Amino acid sequence: MKQLKLVAALAVAFAAASTTTAALAQGAGPIKIGVVTPLTGTYAGIGQQVKWGIDLAIKEINDKGGILGRKLEAVYEDEEANPNVAVQKAEKLFQVAKVDFLTGTVNSGSTLAVGQVAERNQRLAATTVSFSDAITGDKCSPNMFRVNAKAGMQSAALVEWMVKEKPSPSVFYLGPDYEMGRSTVAAFKSAAEKRGAKSVGEVFAPLDNKDYSPFFGQIRAAKPQVLYTSVAGNDTVRFMSQMAEFGVSKGIQVVGAAGTVTAQNMGAIGKAADGYVTGAAYSPELDSPANKKFVADFKAAWKAEPDLYGVDSYGVMYFYKAAVEKAGTVDTDKLRAAMRGLAWDTPQGRKTMRAGDHQAIQDMYAVKVTGGKFQIIAKVPGDAAVGPDTCTKF
Amino acid sequence: MTEILESLQFVYGPQVANGLAIGVAVVLMALGLTIIFGLLDVINMSHGEFYALGAYLAITLVGKGLNFWICLALVPVLMAAIGYAAERTLIQRVFHHKDRHVLTLLLTFGLAIIAEDAFKLAYGPNPFKPEAPITGASEILGIMLPNYRLFLIVAGAAIIATVWVVVYRTSLGAMVRAAAWDKHMAASLGVPVNRVYAGTFAFGVALAGLSGVLLAPIYSVFPTMGKDFILLAFTVVIVGGMGSIKGAVIAGLVLTQIQSLSSLWISPVWSDPLVFGIMVIFLMVRPQGLAGRLGHG
Repeated sequence: MKQLKLVAALAVAFAAASTTTAALAQGAGPIKIGVVTPLTGTYAGIGQQVKWGIDLAIKEINDKGGILGRKLEAVYEDEEANPNVAVQKAEKLFQVAKVDFLTGTVNSGSTLAVGQVAERNQRLAATTVSFSDAITGDKCSPNMFRVNAKAGMQSAALVEWMVKEKPSPSVFYLGPDYEMGRSTVAAFKSAAEKRGAKSVGEVFAPLDNKDYSPFFGQIRAAKPQVLYTSVAGNDTVRFMSQMAEFGVSKGIQVVGAAGTVTAQNMGAIGKAADGYVTGAAYSPELDSPANKKFVADFKAAWKAEPDLYGVDSYGVMYFYKAAVEKAGTVDTDKLRAAMRGLAWDTPQGRKTMRAGDHQAIQDMYAVKVTGGKFQIIAKVPGDAAVGPDTCTKF
Repeated sequence: MTEILESLQFVYGPQVANGLAIGVAVVLMALGLTIIFGLLDVINMSHGEFYALGAYLAITLVGKGLNFWICLALVPVLMAAIGYAAERTLIQRVFHHKDRHVLTLLLTFGLAIIAEDAFKLAYGPNPFKPEAPITGASEILGIMLPNYRLFLIVAGAAIIATVWVVVYRTSLGAMVRAAAWDKHMAASLGVPVNRVYAGTFAFGVALAGLSGVLLAPIYSVFPTMGKDFILLAFTVVIVGGMGSIKGAVIAGLVLTQIQSLSSLWISPVWSDPLVFGIMVIFLMVRPQGLAGRLGHG
C-alpha cells in the first residue's frame, strides 16, 4: 500500500515536472500573432496600413524586451477581403502556424466568420478595422474583440456635428451593397432620423462598382442637403471624382464613414475630396504628445502617414500586451478575463474595452478634409458615442 | 406633368446618356478582344491587363511631364510594340499546337496573373487618377454631361469607325480577313500569315492600351483594374458574335443601356447578373451571337 502511494506520488511529481518543462519550453519561444489581412485587391491599401501598424508596434515591444520576456512574431496571410478565404487562412494560422492571437481582418464579413473560427480553436481574435455594428452587437462572439470604433460610434459623432450645422437636413444615402455598407447606412440613418433628419432616398451600389453616374439622376431628383456615403478604397476615388465631374456634389454637403476617404485614396481623389466630413476615431492631426510621437515614428519607418487603420492596428498590439501582462499568461480564458474592462493607452488616447460586448470605448471626432489633411472640427466623448450594449451571447 | 418632365430630365435622360458613355468604353474593350478572337482564334485572357498596362504607361508618362494628348497617341504605339513582341515570343509558340484553345487560354491567363502582381510591385496597391484633360460639363437638351465624357463618346465612335474601315475597306484588312478565312490559301497567295497574326494581336493590344489611357481619368488606375471591364467585354463579344465588329458595337451599346436603366428599378447588384443571364440565353439559343465571325461575312 505504501509502495502504491509512493508510486502515485512519484507519478504526480513527474507529471507536474513535465508540465513545467513544457510550459517553460513554450515560454521560451516567441508569442505568435496571426494577421489575416487583404494584401491584394481593392482593400490592399488598408491591409498595407494594418501591416505597417502591427510591424511598428511589434518592433517597439520587442526592442523593450517583448511581453513577459517573450518576443512577438507576426505571421501574415492574405485575406483578399473575402470571408471564405479569411476562414481558410485563419484556420491555417491556428492549426498549422499555432498562432496565439489573431487580428487583421478588414471585411466585416471576414471578421464575423473568423470570430467563429477563433471560437472553434479556443483562441482569441481582434479586429482593428471592421465597422459593422453586428460584430459587437447581435453577432458578438466571446472570442472576438474590437479595438476600433464601430459604425454606430462614427455615425453618432457625425450626426452630432450635422444637426448642429444644418438643423433637420434632408439626407440621401449611398453605400456599397454588402454587410459593411448596409450596416453603416442603417446606423447613420436611424441616428440621423432620431435627431430630426429627413431621409430622401438611398441606393446600394455593388462593391468594386466602376461607374456611379447611373445613380446621379436619383440623387439630383431627390435634391438632398446632405449626401451620406460609406463606399471605401478605390470605390471612393471613382464615386467622388465622378460626382465632381458631373457637378452633382455642388451645393450638397458630402459626409460619410471614416473608411471612405483615407490616406491611401486621398491622393487619387484630389480636390474632389475637399469639404468631406466624417465621424472618426482618429486623425493624424490629433494634437497630443503620444500621437505626435506615433506619427513621427510611423513616418520614419514607412515613409507614409498613418491613418485610422494604421493607428488601430498599432494599438491592438498594446491592447494585447496590457492584457497578457495583466493575466500573466496567454491562456485563453485568463486572457479573456483580463481583456474585459481593460483600459490601455494608444496614440488616440486612453481606451476601455467594454466587458459586456467587447467593444472599445473611446472619444470620437468630426473631421473635415481640407487640402489633403483631416482637420478636427468637433469632439464627442466616448461614453456619449458608444451607445447601449446589445450583445446577449455572453 | 412637371414631374414627368423632371424625371425625364433628371433621371431617364442622364441614365441613357451615361449609359452611352459607359457603352462606348465597353465597346472599345470588346473590340480588341473580338478582333483577336475572330482572327487568331485566341481567347485573350490578359486583355484586361493590357488595358491596365496602357493606363499605367499613361500615368508614368504624365508623371514625367508629358501632355495627356501626346500620351493618348504614344501609348497605343508602345502597346502595339509590346503586343507584337508578346505574340511573336509567346503566343506563336503554342499557336500551331492542336490544343491551341486551351494552351493560349492558359498562357494569356498566366500572363494576366503575372502582370497584375507586377503592377503592384512597381506602383504599389493604392490607386492613381490622372486629371481629365477636358474639364467642366455641358448641358444638352437639359441633360448635364461632363465634357470629357462627351469627348469619350465622340472619340470612341471615331475609333470604332476607323477600325471598321481598316478591317473591311483596306487591302491590309483584306489580308487579315483572308488569313482568318483560310490561312493556307492566304499563305500560298503571298500573305505573310505569321506577321499578319502578330500584327493583328498587336492591333488588339493597342486598342486595349488606348482604352486604358482614355478611361483612366474616369475610372482611375490600380493593379486589379484589368478585371473591371473584362467580364462585361467577354459578354459583349459572346452576345455580339465572336469576332464580329458590328455585333460587338450593337451588343456593347444595348447591354450597357440595359444595365444602366435596369439599375433604376432593380437593386444595382442585380444588373450584372441580368446581363450575364442574357449571355447564357444567347449561348443556349444563338451561340453564334448577333453576327457571324470576322472574315466570315
